[in-house]
Amino acid sequence: MKRIAILLAALLLTATSASAQTGRGIYQRYSGSPGVSAVYISPAMFRLIGRIPDIQVNGGNLDFAPVIRTLSGLYLLTSKNIPVSTKIISEVDRLVSNDDYELLMEAKDNGEAVRMFTTGTESIVHGLIMLAVDGPETTFICLDGKMDRAALEKLLLENMNKK
Amino acid sequence: MKRIEDIESLSPEALEAAALEQDVPVPEGLDARIREALAGETALDRPRVTVKRRVLYASLAAAAAVAAVVVVNRSALAGPRDTFDDPYLAYAQVEETFRQLSDKMAFGIDLADQARDAAEKPIQIIKKINER
Repeated sequence: MKRIAILLAALLLTATSASAQTGRGIYQRYSGSPGVSAVYISPAMFRLIGRIPDIQVNGGNLDFAPVIRTLSGLYLLTSKNIPVSTKIISEVDRLVSNDDYELLMEAKDNGEAVRMFTTGTESIVHGLIMLAVDGPETTFICLDGKMDRAALEKLLLENMNKK
Repeated sequence: MKRIEDIESLSPEALEAAALEQDVPVPEGLDARIREALAGETALDRPRVTVKRRVLYASLAAAAAVAAVVVVNRSALAGPRDTFDDPYLAYAQVEETFRQLSDKMAFGIDLADQARDAAEKPIQIIKKINER
């Protein structure tokens, strides 16, 4: 009976941890927590966005369309709940400790810390994760898709220069 | 002397009657041996019942585990609900998200620029000293 109980616990643990070790899993786990605002955009909604005819006009000089059409999920959590933020940070740490994730950028200054990670190949980004801690606020952003790395980087840099 | 064929042809009643006519002594301790044999069989039967129970518990546990995994995976597969019904609003959110990402990248690049400036100052001082 002991063995069976251990096996059962292991199965449940595997099943739950499998869902938690993704951006989606983290979103699902904490999106309903108090003090946490959450945004999810599904692949179906991205397909609808891709059909908006004046998508470039809305983006001003920036062409979001090529990147947006390759996105399959957007998960955003903004937490002002310190215990939940601590858990999110710890889960993101576990997620990116996976060899597939590569640190894109890390910056820390005056209590503000930002880390960005990507996963994919040299030319395609399958996932982008950003974790930013700014005082009491923690922001987690996860983008899933098959984004052209060059187009994504260009978009982010152009958007930065636009300011 | 009776032959086997003669005995085999007898009816059960006739066999019983013949047996009752014979005065065969009961071997000593037969009763105790029968009791021991019956007790032994009962003892052998017990583990069989335990094994059956274990199989039953194992089956129930396995079924519960499968059900739990299915429930967990289903809830994971069901996925979260879209925050927006309107693609225009969703697009505005995507734009805002990219703006946030760019802001944070700018934060990192600004820090790198500051660090570069700080690193260049000693180099400039050294250059000026060398020019003198």
